[in-house]
Amino acid sequence: MAGKMISLATNAAAEASRPPPRVRPTGWAWLLLPGSIFLTVLFVMPLLGLLLLSLGMPDWTLAHFLRIGDSPAYATVLGTTLEISLSVTALAFVFGYPIAYVLTTGGPTLRTFLLIAVVLPYFTSVLARTFAWIVLLGRGGVINEILLQLGLVSQPVTMLYNRVGVIIGMTHIIMPLMILPMSTVMSSIDQRLLRAARASGASSLAAFLTIFLPLSLPGVIAGVLLVFIYCLGFYITPALLGGLSDLTITMEISAQVVDRLNWNFGAALSMVLLVGVLAILWIGSRFFPIEQLLGFSDGKSGSDAAPRRQLGTRWLMHVGSAANTLDRWLPSMGGRGVVILASFLAVLLLLPVLIVAYLSFSSSPYFVFPVPGYSLGNYQAYLSDTLWMSATFASIRVALMAAGMATVLGAMLAFGLSRGRIRGRSAIVALVLSPIIMPTVIVAVATYFLLVRVGLQGTEFGLALGHAVHAIPFVVVIVVANLRDLNPAYERAARSLGAGPLATFRTIIAPLVMPAFIVAAFFAFLTSFDDVVYVLFLGIGKVTTLPMRMWEGIKQDISPTISAVATLQMAFAAIVIIIGAVLGRRRNT
Amino acid sequence: MLKIAHNITDVKTGGIALRGVRKRYGGAVAVDGVSLDISPGEFVSLLGPSGSGKTTTLMMIAGFETPDTGQILLDGKDITRLPPHRRELGIIFQNYALFPHMTVADNVAYPLRMRRMPKAEVKSRVDRVLEQVQLGALADRYPHQMSGGQQQRVAIARALVFDPPVLLLDEPLGALDKKLRQHLRAEIKALHKEVGKTMIYVTHDQEEALAMSDRVAVMHEGRIRQASSPRDIYSRPAELFVASFVGEANLIPVKLKGGVAYSPDGARLEATQWDGDDAEAMLCVRPEHVRLKLAGVGAAPGLHGAVVDSTFVGDATVIECETSSGLRLTSKVLNQPGNPVPSVGSSCVLSWAQTDATILTQ
Repeated sequence: MAGKMISLATNAAAEASRPPPRVRPTGWAWLLLPGSIFLTVLFVMPLLGLLLLSLGMPDWTLAHFLRIGDSPAYATVLGTTLEISLSVTALAFVFGYPIAYVLTTGGPTLRTFLLIAVVLPYFTSVLARTFAWIVLLGRGGVINEILLQLGLVSQPVTMLYNRVGVIIGMTHIIMPLMILPMSTVMSSIDQRLLRAARASGASSLAAFLTIFLPLSLPGVIAGVLLVFIYCLGFYITPALLGGLSDLTITMEISAQVVDRLNWNFGAALSMVLLVGVLAILWIGSRFFPIEQLLGFSDGKSGSDAAPRRQLGTRWLMHVGSAANTLDRWLPSMGGRGVVILASFLAVLLLLPVLIVAYLSFSSSPYFVFPVPGYSLGNYQAYLSDTLWMSATFASIRVALMAAGMATVLGAMLAFGLSRGRIRGRSAIVALVLSPIIMPTVIVAVATYFLLVRVGLQGTEFGLALGHAVHAIPFVVVIVVANLRDLNPAYERAARSLGAGPLATFRTIIAPLVMPAFIVAAFFAFLTSFDDVVYVLFLGIGKVTTLPMRMWEGIKQDISPTISAVATLQMAFAAIVIIIGAVLGRRRNT
Repeated sequence: MLKIAHNITDVKTGGIALRGVRKRYGGAVAVDGVSLDISPGEFVSLLGPSGSGKTTTLMMIAGFETPDTGQILLDGKDITRLPPHRRELGIIFQNYALFPHMTVADNVAYPLRMRRMPKAEVKSRVDRVLEQVQLGALADRYPHQMSGGQQQRVAIARALVFDPPVLLLDEPLGALDKKLRQHLRAEIKALHKEVGKTMIYVTHDQEEALAMSDRVAVMHEGRIRQASSPRDIYSRPAELFVASFVGEANLIPVKLKGGVAYSPDGARLEATQWDGDDAEAMLCVRPEHVRLKLAGVGAAPGLHGAVVDSTFVGDATVIECETSSGLRLTSKVLNQPGNPVPSVGSSCVLSWAQTDATILTQ
């Protein structure tokens, strides 16, 4: 769920060029303390512990790393991980670019539709979306059924539990992560530049190639990096959709840590993945500010921060003038074609979750398409099953605890970061944002080792601590974006009118940032409510949350009750989006 | 000042004609039947408040919007549906829209490269035009490394380098501070004199429009309300909107009887001869045309009243008076020796020359 907040930050990016608010220095900085301590204890220390563990603590050795290098089996695992990640990143870019393009340049109705198509799946849990692909791709799945009925194939095509399934599923699930950073950058491109190009004699294709494409490159780099990093650390989808030959590094880590209790070796594998991710981030940060990639832009970074390199203009001009000659021969079909392509891809983006929602109302105990009749049987089965119910309540308890901690600590961090100018501020920004950019599996494994030592592994509170670490970055990003609009002049005006610091907070600051707090809290709740990776490590065998129950259900038998649960999750996500949109609109008017 | 050589090969090109052009967005009519003939070499401003349709009109001439009905002609040729890159019109955009990822030289070369001009010629043309706008030394800079004034010159160079017969300017001075605006205004005016190209200039700033144009077309609610010389627009507004939008105006409700204007209380007011029917109308007099005399210095003809406010504005004093019949009138008196500066409360007599008062029926 890394970078979920990018969508909400798109609006903020437009205002990024505004100068930072003038601040009173020290007082606010104290607010940074609790959150920083929390993250240090529950994020930095576990990762350091992981490093020590990989080095064989207390008997120091490099044997575990040497073992990875020696064994061809692990080379294969690394190779598979890279292959899958590269293919998925490439596909997501090819399909994502046209959607991002139309999302920023299309008409208002089209844009709303595309935004829903990108954001709704994005907010729906990864598990629910992976489940959708199992239903679609299986031997008796929806796609095979349709192919057989149309007579296009005589036997079901194997698309599940192999590389094809993994790549299809991951590409679909990852698409929003590719699209949102690209469209953020694209929406900052002045449309007048394209008009200037047209007025200078460039056809629409030539204007796109010479102006729009090069200016959108920072977004492309950001999207590609984010998706590639996310793919490297992806666990749920490859584990559920892949076959035996599609073992990725995250699955190997999980197997070593949980199944074989081979902690040192699991830690060494985690270190290999972590170093890989950090190296990519380091390379990426030379092209694009990483914190902006996560939607964290606080005034000083505007569109000017994007690199303005010599992009081989000579070469661009050749391409452009060549495209211009083409224009004489081709009828002007360009615009329409892109719109149709983007709309088609957007429908594909929405379709899997919609099909699951449709099948959840089926009267048949199997996934038959089209449904033979409608019934609420699956929902009744869910509500009357004590296991499902207790899992739901466990999820709610954990999510409430996690959201509570994350909202309070995150809001304090946000205030501290926006208002308190202190030394080492960028280090705190990095600390706050790291939990969402590091592969969840690694953070979960590291936290697992820590919680086992202090006896909190397998408790709901321990799980909530892990979820809170993961939710804090989202809370900070949302609240910081809103604090930027909270002009300190309001507070000064209140103070000049006789309000004390407390009264100022109560009458001015609180009402203005309350919508952001509410949205942030919902978000933190949703992150925890949808998570399965942390539960697999922090709760294994002892805490069964709703996603954990779904995970087990999917691994054992694909029961149709899961479709009802997935649909409810999607509905919940939709409600959160609507609340966010409504509160955001009310604030802006 | 700019020095741009021009090819006076064919001075007759660059005539633009709008014929009943109409454009609506959803339910709202943006441009409601605009017709205007612009002769080659003319400098015409489209002046109006925001939402008056002036920018939409310009974008239709440029080809970025297509009229619902009506025609746009360039030198008699219908270009209504021609895509923008085939129109051969130079455009200077608000904020200039210089390509941020290209150097000044590449920005200027862009239109020539798109026309597949041979490299050597591109280079010589770019060098020449950059020399002319005095930016030869800055050819390798990027736009964000330049001042606002330099950026405008790059934009001008880019729009002129392919020698279009017409230049469209979309509020190019909109975002600049006042001093720079005045300077660049002079540059654009000089440029027009130099190259003799047709220029269509969109602005909401009346001072800009009056100072630069051969002709000003005042737009309101999608229509051209008056298109004439700046002097005419100011001193002979065709209708109420033009009178109140351009400059300050005293507007006095009057009754017209037999070609003569009477104030509400029946006093006869000096005004230009009215040939139409008897009607209710407005009388428009500019403040600087309202003569103010202190009462008691001989029995002067005119409206009697009292000074209610007096504001010093530097070169002049703006004096507000209320007549005995309750009309509020403003007089602007230059601060020169001999001109009266009455104090608040003193009685006065207001009058104006017959030719300075225009009758407006709508």
